[in-house]
Order: sequence, then C-alpha cells, then structure tokens
Amino acid sequence: MLDANAKTVGMVGLYDNVDALVQAAATVRDAGHKNWDCHTPYPVHGLEKAMGIKPSPVPTVILTAGLVGLIVAIALTGGLSAIHYPIRIGGKALLSWQAFVPIYFELFVLFAALAAMASVIFFCKLGRWHSPLHDSGIMKEITCDRFAIVFETRDGDESHEDIRAMLEETGCRDIRPLLEQEDEDNSII
Amino acid sequence: MNTEHAASKAGLAGAPAPSPTLVRLAGILTLLGIALSVPALLGEADRTRFGFAYLWSFVGLWSVVLGSLFFVGLQHLTGSIWSVVIRRTAEMLAGSMWLVALLFLPLLLFGIFFDQFHLFPWVDESNVAGSHLLQEKQPYLNATFFTVRAAVFFAAWIAFAAYFVRTSLEMDHGRAPADAGGALRRAAGPFTLIFALTATFAGIDWIMSLDPYWFSTIFGVYIFSGMVVASLAAITIAVVCLRESGRLRRDVVTDDHLYSLGVLMFVFVCFWAYIAFSQYMLIWYANMPEETAYLHNRLQGNWLAVSIALALVRFVVPFFALLSRRAKMNPRILFWVSIWLLAGQLLDLYWLIMPELHDHHPVLGWQELGPPLLMTGALLWYVSRFLARHAPMAIGDPLLDQSLSFRL
Repeated sequence: MLDANAKTVGMVGLYDNVDALVQAAATVRDAGHKNWDCHTPYPVHGLEKAMGIKPSPVPTVILTAGLVGLIVAIALTGGLSAIHYPIRIGGKALLSWQAFVPIYFELFVLFAALAAMASVIFFCKLGRWHSPLHDSGIMKEITCDRFAIVFETRDGDESHEDIRAMLEETGCRDIRPLLEQEDEDNSII
Repeated sequence: MNTEHAASKAGLAGAPAPSPTLVRLAGILTLLGIALSVPALLGEADRTRFGFAYLWSFVGLWSVVLGSLFFVGLQHLTGSIWSVVIRRTAEMLAGSMWLVALLFLPLLLFGIFFDQFHLFPWVDESNVAGSHLLQEKQPYLNATFFTVRAAVFFAAWIAFAAYFVRTSLEMDHGRAPADAGGALRRAAGPFTLIFALTATFAGIDWIMSLDPYWFSTIFGVYIFSGMVVASLAAITIAVVCLRESGRLRRDVVTDDHLYSLGVLMFVFVCFWAYIAFSQYMLIWYANMPEETAYLHNRLQGNWLAVSIALALVRFVVPFFALLSRRAKMNPRILFWVSIWLLAGQLLDLYWLIMPELHDHHPVLGWQELGPPLLMTGALLWYVSRFLARHAPMAIGDPLLDQSLSFRL
C-alpha cells in the first residue's frame, strides 16, 4: 500500500465518451508531448492518427527475421546434402534446390512468425509485473466504460500543473495523479 | 432499399457519362488489331501463328472476365461489406461475358471445325490415326463434345453474369425485389461450385489439350490462380482510373478499400506461386517421362529465359512491390503493379500456349500482336459503353452504407 512517501509519477485524464478522447488526443499530439498513451475499452478507429503514432517497426523486424530464416534454410539444406553428407538420392543432383524450396518457405515463415510474436511482446512492453496505473485501480474503469489519456512525468520535463491545465482545456473533468512508492521504479506507458 | 434512398446515394457516384478518351483508345486499338490481323490471315504459316496468338489473347481476356465474375460471386457468397463500393467494376467486367463468347466463335470455327490454325493435334485425323493414346482419348477430345462443353460453360457463365449484374443494376433504381440481397447470396453458393468445375474443364480443353499427351491434375487450380490475379489487377486498374478521373470520389472509395484490394491481390500472387511451384516440384520429383516432357520443352533453348522471367514477373517482383502496407494504399503503385500483373498473366499464357508452336525459341512478331490489340480494344469499347449508361458504384446495394464507413 502507498504511504506518505508516495510521489506523483504520472497524470491520468478520464473521459466519458470516445469522441472527446480522440479530440483530446489530437490536442495533446499538437502540444508535442512525448510520454503519454491512450487507453480505451475497445479498439477506436482513427485514434492512432489522432495520437500521431508513427508506423510500427514490427513489419521490418518480421521481414528481417524471415530473410534470416531463408538464409539459414539455404545453408542448412545445401550444407548438409551437398557438403557434409554428399549422398546421391534418386539420381537427383546433390544441390537439388527444387526439393528444398518447401524448407526455405517453412523456415522463412517460422522465423518470421516467432519474430512477430517476440517483437510484439517487446514493443508492447508486455511482461511487467505491475505499473502505477494498474496499481491505481483506474484500469478497472477503463476496461468498463471510460477512456483515458495517461502521462508519465517521471523525467520531470513537464509539470503536473501544465498537464492538468491542458487536460482541463480539452474538457476533461476527472483528472487524477498517479502515485508510486519512492523505492519503486515502474514504467507507466 | 427504396427508390428515394437509392437516389440520395446517386450523388456519391455521379451521373453516368461517356468518356471520349476511352472510346478513342478502344477505337485505335481495335483498328490497329484488325490492321495487323488481316495480313496475318493471308499466308499459311502466318495464319497458324495468328491462330495461336488468337487463342493466347482470347484466354487472357476470358481469364479477366471470368475471374471478375468469380470475384462478384465471392463477395455475395461471403456477404462482404468492404467490397460493395468497388463491386460494380467487377460486375462491369463480368458483364462482358457475352462478348467473350462471341470472340470464342472464330476459334471454334477456324480452330476446330475447319482446322485452319492447326491448334489442337487431336483435331487432325492423321495425328489421331497414328497415335494409340489419342485414339483412347477420342471420347473426350473430339470436336462435337468439345463444342458441347464450351456451349455449356458459356451458358452457365453468361446466365450467372447476367443475373448478378442485372440484379445489381436493378438495385440502383430501386427496382429489385425486396429480398434481392438474400437471393444473390443463395445463388452464389451453386455458382461457386459450377465455376470451379467449368473453369477447370475450360482450362483443360482450351490450354492443356494443346499437348494431348500431357496431363497435370493441378492444372485447373493453376489456371484459376492466374485468373484471379489477372481479374483483381483489371478491377484495381478500373477502380484507380475511375477514382483519378473523379467518377469515384476519394472519400467514398477510401485508402482502406484500396488496401483491401491490394491485400487480395498480394495473397493471390503468393497463391499463384504456391500452385505453380507445387506443379513444377511434383513433376520434377516424380521424374516420369510423360509428365516431364512438358516442362522439358519449356526449360530448353530460349524458353528457359521465359520460364525464369515468369517466376520473377508473376511472383518475386509483385511480392516485394506489394509487401508494405503503404504500397497497398497507394493508387499509383497499385495501378502500375496491376498493369505489370496483367502483363504477367499474358506472359504466363504465352508460356503455356506458344511452346506448342515454337519448339526452341519464343517468337513475338506483328503476326502475334493483332488479336491482343483487337481484344483489348473490344473490352475497352464495352467498358466505355457500360460507363456511359450505368453508375460506377452499386448505389442501390443495401450494404452500401456500411461499406462507405468501412475502415481497417
């Protein structure tokens, strides 16, 4: 539980309807904030654009991993059947690429799929035990019927008053600080 | 859907208007095609080349039109919402099935009955008399049954095309029956079955039987995969052109609709590669002379270069061109990739058909160019006529509202 030593590490603005959130997100985007995120009970069309989120690096990671898988497959099949164990089977050439294409394809897909999984987990910062936002109980409201903009202020670049003023300007009537114990250090967004 | 509602939607599509550019283009291509075809028909050797080129371009046109009909049927079958705003272009192409049937008649007359083109070895009785295998195949490969089959195929395609297109056009004016949407969906099921069978056997009859000694059980799927890519490319070209010319508004056919078309095209590019390689690998692996002869012909001499080009043109290049999300949303890129893919379809059919005439060296001269120009001109003439009479979007479809707000 939080005690008197708790410090404010973030701010949350809660909205009751989705349009207000999307508008507020555009305002925050234009104000040039960096450490912030939106939480909604369901996927909201157009929110990425309103937030100004840049294209995800996930596709590039997937393609790179897939090409690595392709090279591994070529090395594996060619190295085994033409260099290390040159056994002629069925009168075919040692380096019968036709027979190996399914393996090229499968390893390409396997590497790409595993990289997709891993990079999604990595870029979504999954696998944290807890964060001040989750400890606050606000998530229970967000996953029900509320829409939230969350700021992380740990780096101290922006004052809580400025954020509060900006959120009030966007019509937000429920603004709460996020608290954390002095000795902890959990990322919020 | 009542009349008023449909009329209120008409503003989204704009009034039907003739396009002088399209008419002029169609006229020039048709005249050029005729000008090149007439001298080719005069000489004996040139006439055979003309016949093969006619078959080649006919199958190309057929694949675009039948593939579009399949696209329309598929959208009804799945109850697709995203595709309602662009379905009319597919309906437009599918509606030209009667034109395809008309263009098939010269092939039937001079290719089969008078045998002026020397297309199919099984037509020539001296060939049949000298080959036990051809005699065994006579019950299937004979002129009468070939004609009956073609008649059945075209009857089925024209009937379904007429039904799908007419109902959609009636919806535009609010004249369709109340449950037209449900009726279309119920018709789409049997259509898909009939389409699968007729497309397969048409592929066997018109392309595979050029080499009656050879067979491939996957051939129908191979033809299907190329057909879907070609028709998606044609639909995309039509949508992009209508959108650039202002006939389809950019806020109506959005980037999200274009993206969905691009994804389908990308998927079928991969599907074609999968099927093409499956056919090649199984024949290569089994290594049986009666199967390998077909590929052997296509891997020797200059045909090897065509075979390699085919893999690059139909798979590698469009795969990387369409890979990124941005490319699938960019009308310019989609347009040029579609043109490329249509050229790829022609290359694929060239690869399937022409080695039966030219053993070692692919040949492409003025004798080959008449029919493709003629048929492109004929299709464009039909398209210009359709666009001058009908809205470029299915403005009466009950699902249109949902389709307009479709977002990824």
